[in-house]
Amino acid sequence: MKVTICVGSTCHLLGSRTVVERFKALVEEHQLQDRVELSGKFCMGKCGEGVCVTIDDVTHIIQKEEAEEFFNREILAKAV
Amino acid sequence: MSGGTYIDTGYVSLIKYGEQLCGDRVIFAGNEDTRIGVLADGLGSGVKANILATLTAQILATMSVGGMSVEDCVNTIVRTLPECSVRKIAYSTFTLIKIRDQKHVELIRFDNPHTIVLRGGRAIELEHQDRMIDGKKIYESRFEAEVGDVLVVISDGVNFAGLGGAYPFGWGRENAVKYLEDHYDPEMPAQRIASTLAEECYNLYGGKPGDDTTIAVMRLAQPYTVNLMIGPPSSATLDDDMLEAFFSQPGKRIVCGGSTNQLAARYLGNELTASLDYFDSDLPPMYSLEGVDLSTEGAITISRVLDYAGEYLSGTQLHPRWEGKRDGAARIARLLFENATDIHFFVGCAMNPAHQNPNLSLAFGAKFQLIEKLAKRLEEMGKRVTVRFF
Repeated sequence: MKVTICVGSTCHLLGSRTVVERFKALVEEHQLQDRVELSGKFCMGKCGEGVCVTIDDVTHIIQKEEAEEFFNREILAKAV
Repeated sequence: MSGGTYIDTGYVSLIKYGEQLCGDRVIFAGNEDTRIGVLADGLGSGVKANILATLTAQILATMSVGGMSVEDCVNTIVRTLPECSVRKIAYSTFTLIKIRDQKHVELIRFDNPHTIVLRGGRAIELEHQDRMIDGKKIYESRFEAEVGDVLVVISDGVNFAGLGGAYPFGWGRENAVKYLEDHYDPEMPAQRIASTLAEECYNLYGGKPGDDTTIAVMRLAQPYTVNLMIGPPSSATLDDDMLEAFFSQPGKRIVCGGSTNQLAARYLGNELTASLDYFDSDLPPMYSLEGVDLSTEGAITISRVLDYAGEYLSGTQLHPRWEGKRDGAARIARLLFENATDIHFFVGCAMNPAHQNPNLSLAFGAKFQLIEKLAKRLEEMGKRVTVRFF
């Protein structure tokens, strides 16, 4: 599963670093290193409402506070 | 004479312990043909010394840029300086260096310590003559500089470093010269030479300088060109113009901004990747693109570089915040402030819709405003700067 997080200016200011670090920690915690590939991505042109996260080519816009909940629902549930 | 030898300048002043203001003043001025460096050391310390030194340095710099003779400069200083009410004299020592065509050096000195001139990493002796102007003994030396020469102008606080501590009368000029020779590196920028020696003095003083201590450095450097491209052009029809202009320039290349990096990647036919390593908690991670030396985010990173530029120019930092750091802004700062002699900006003027979003309250000025400010700062550092808009 390929998960990309936008690291452009706007997403950065809206908290992409928090999302990246939360995801990195959760991948490790659940030992998903072999199944989930995290990477950075450039602006996807949907700036302004939240951090852009793409999972296998589907883009989601999330708030940094809901990073863990989103991870459990969209990544953990589907990767295991 | 763009592309010719370049005069790299930098300085650090340590303020006497307990004082708020420095009684030494450094001014670099002039243009491509004539570069001027002045260090004035006002009598005493604190506000009075600061005023005397500032007036002296400013008069010398302005008059020298205007091509006035040494006699005229000294006469003006003597007549202009306010008299110290305690000591009944108007007094500021000074060193004035004038370099014409990056070669012909004129060194004028009044009561400041000898200027140290390093050639190939060794101090050289200068031929000189002394003469009296208005009852003041003025030291004059003229010589032809060579590429790589380093001129280190010091105030007496340097020679006194360690006074009363490790050295009863200060470590003295010989030790300062030896320190410079031992730490000589032909690539070392002027600012770093100044801060390295200043730090040694600071340590010798046990962190409490007993006198204002200033080191001003002028170095005849080989030219080093850095090109920086930021922002997509105002119209897509200009994309190729900007990319061709940028990639046809010799020198290092920095590309700032996600969209701009994507343009560059398409032009080069190389893959662009974004890292997820945060070397600085407030800056977005860097990108990687073959064919470009440094690839970073745009507005946030450049705003930080602009902050660093102001701090760098203040002449009070022994260690800039970005020293030894690996984030994009620190890397750009090193390239632009320390290495570059000639800097070319390629600025695309497209509005970034994300920066206009009222819900975000992002404090971005337009990119071209950031670059205009940065260009001005770099010119104050003595860099040769061009800016092209697309």
